[in-house]
Amino acid sequence: MSDHVIVVGLGFGDEGKGAVVDALCADGSVDKVVRFNGGAQAAHNVVVGDRHHTFSQFGSGTLAGVPTWLSRYVLVEPIALATESRELEAIGVTDPLSMMSIDARALLTTPIHVAANRARERARGADRHGSCGKGIGETAWYGLLAGRKAGELVEGQRVLGEPGPAPTVGDCLNPRAARHKLDALARFYEPLIGDGTNVDELVALYRSFADAVRITTGDELDGRVVFEGAQGVLLDETYGFHPHTTWSTVTPRNAKHLLNGRKARVLGVTRTYQTRHGAGPLPTEDQAVLDRFPERHNGTGEFQGAWRAGHLDAQLLQYSVRCCGGVDGLAVTHLDADGLKVATGNGLEDLPDPVAYLEDLLGVEVLVTGAGPARADYAVRENPRHDRVDAGVGGRDRAAV
Amino acid sequence: MGHGKWDDNAYAAAKTFRAAKGIADFGYTASIKSQPRDNWKAAKALDPFKVALRECRDSPDHADSTPIAVLFDVTGSMGSVPRIMQGKLGKLHGLLQRKGYLADPQLMFGGIGDADSDRVPLQVGQFESDNRMDEQLRDIFLEGNGGGQKSESYELAAYFVARHVVTDAWQKRGRKGYLFIIGDELNKPRLEARHIRRVIGDDVNQDIDPVSVYRELAKKWNVYFILPNQSSYFHDDAIAEHWRAILGQNFLKLDDPGAVCELIAATIGMEEQVVDLDQALVDLAEIGSVAESRSVGKALVAVGAAARPATAAPLAIDGPDDVTLT
Repeated sequence: MSDHVIVVGLGFGDEGKGAVVDALCADGSVDKVVRFNGGAQAAHNVVVGDRHHTFSQFGSGTLAGVPTWLSRYVLVEPIALATESRELEAIGVTDPLSMMSIDARALLTTPIHVAANRARERARGADRHGSCGKGIGETAWYGLLAGRKAGELVEGQRVLGEPGPAPTVGDCLNPRAARHKLDALARFYEPLIGDGTNVDELVALYRSFADAVRITTGDELDGRVVFEGAQGVLLDETYGFHPHTTWSTVTPRNAKHLLNGRKARVLGVTRTYQTRHGAGPLPTEDQAVLDRFPERHNGTGEFQGAWRAGHLDAQLLQYSVRCCGGVDGLAVTHLDADGLKVATGNGLEDLPDPVAYLEDLLGVEVLVTGAGPARADYAVRENPRHDRVDAGVGGRDRAAV
Repeated sequence: MGHGKWDDNAYAAAKTFRAAKGIADFGYTASIKSQPRDNWKAAKALDPFKVALRECRDSPDHADSTPIAVLFDVTGSMGSVPRIMQGKLGKLHGLLQRKGYLADPQLMFGGIGDADSDRVPLQVGQFESDNRMDEQLRDIFLEGNGGGQKSESYELAAYFVARHVVTDAWQKRGRKGYLFIIGDELNKPRLEARHIRRVIGDDVNQDIDPVSVYRELAKKWNVYFILPNQSSYFHDDAIAEHWRAILGQNFLKLDDPGAVCELIAATIGMEEQVVDLDQALVDLAEIGSVAESRSVGKALVAVGAAARPATAAPLAIDGPDDVTLT
């Protein structure tokens, strides 16, 4: 593949987007990985040889040497970013922060948001939403409060006090602006989390953060770009199953805004079966599937809840593809799993060849295959059945030749 | 940020970002060393000259403050100890708090040099309970010289702590603070009045016997001298004899300089009678200091800790009478 690619998860997350992005970057043809949604709650596993990293804010092309740009649609958490940078250094990446640039308009997730997120999720008791406890929803919500007054309901949540403007990555360059916004933020959340936040310390920390990464004000889409989506379309804030959703646009919409008319191929990623973390619907859930495919890198999170699995769900996949406005190709992971079934409108059927089945079901070609956790288990199929992909005549809008 | 308390992650993040920016962890030293020697001076926050008092006070966040003063010899052979401290500060603080050794530790750092030959023979910071102590450490000037007379001005530092530090722990509760001096040489034979005047600014006209300074200090402080294996003096019996004569069993020899933070934590845990030596070593291993715990064990065993019943605090000196003074 030689054009821009938008990698989108077609499930509830954990489809294998990280490994797919790494596979696309592995041949050196990609100049930048751009994140276009979500924040520090992303967890994209990449295994290269004996190295493994769970990518959260760094792009999954990092082990392939590809720099990351966090676009304005990403929620940025500097403390977690620093931790991730140290983890990457520990597995041999030199000066990871030098491979990172961030749009100044990106919202900042602070320890205040994190504390508020956790306080709310704890208060929900048995009705937890399956939040990761990383302040994502809270960051998104606070970002919506401009001009709102105390007592108003915004997205079903009552505004506690007087909100201020949401802190952004750009504010980190300016201690005065950062202090102003963080003070307002701390005051706003006092009723929920108390008043102990040390704003001075945060301001100093964010200043050194701003010194360590490149903060950008314009477009960073030079060369060939892979857009790395976080979460899956079935968790999308608009199209997912509320309330078990993420406060993020998971579909390619943000990536397309960033592209501003430039062409890109949308690559939908799916496993050969369905999975999800925590609460919410999983129509084809089956303990037998969970038992057959235990996960090395996915466990039960304190806030997220249990890891769950079920059969491939044809209708959900078709729904996800429709939510994306169609896809131009598929990446199918976990092809090493065999003896699978698929739920169609007519019940459970055996699934002998997932690649053929999915190409037939969704009318697009499988361009990336994964049959294990490591880069070596992945293949980018330049010409899956015909030469037409590189000739630019493939994809969902064109009839199969 | 843990509501006013030290936060390991934030501390580590700040350090990561600084490192990425290319700033050495001891930025003050780097900037000062590039200037002519005549301009060398302590960072403002660490300069003891004309400082009336350094205070360790209770606050709503820290109602039961315990002062811990850590003063390093920053001369040539000892320059790496502050760097080690700096790297492990979060661990030390975390261990003290999380394991319940102390509810509200407040740390103060300082640097000790040679008043006969150094531009900056004494630096003393302020007691801090949050990430500012990291800032303070990084502002310590690592002058690095030292006089080569096998002595440094430890007694000048001891004098400052005795005369210029007040603590709520002592004033409100009659509880001693902790002073750790980390070095590898002897006290000067005299604490010279001219050095006190020049460095601290007190109007003192008579030289003072260093031992009397430690005697005064021991009334309000548990005083320890840690000799890390960092120079040839580690094996020099004269050093051990000198310090044992002043501090008794509170002279600690540490074979792994990388374990200095862990030794401080374990010593406090035992002095507070929260843990015995075995439990302290288990706690250290739990925070990942497995190799360090071996050295800590050796340092504390060497002063006779293991020979005591496990129920007694092995380093239980309580009150000035237990300190061997000459």
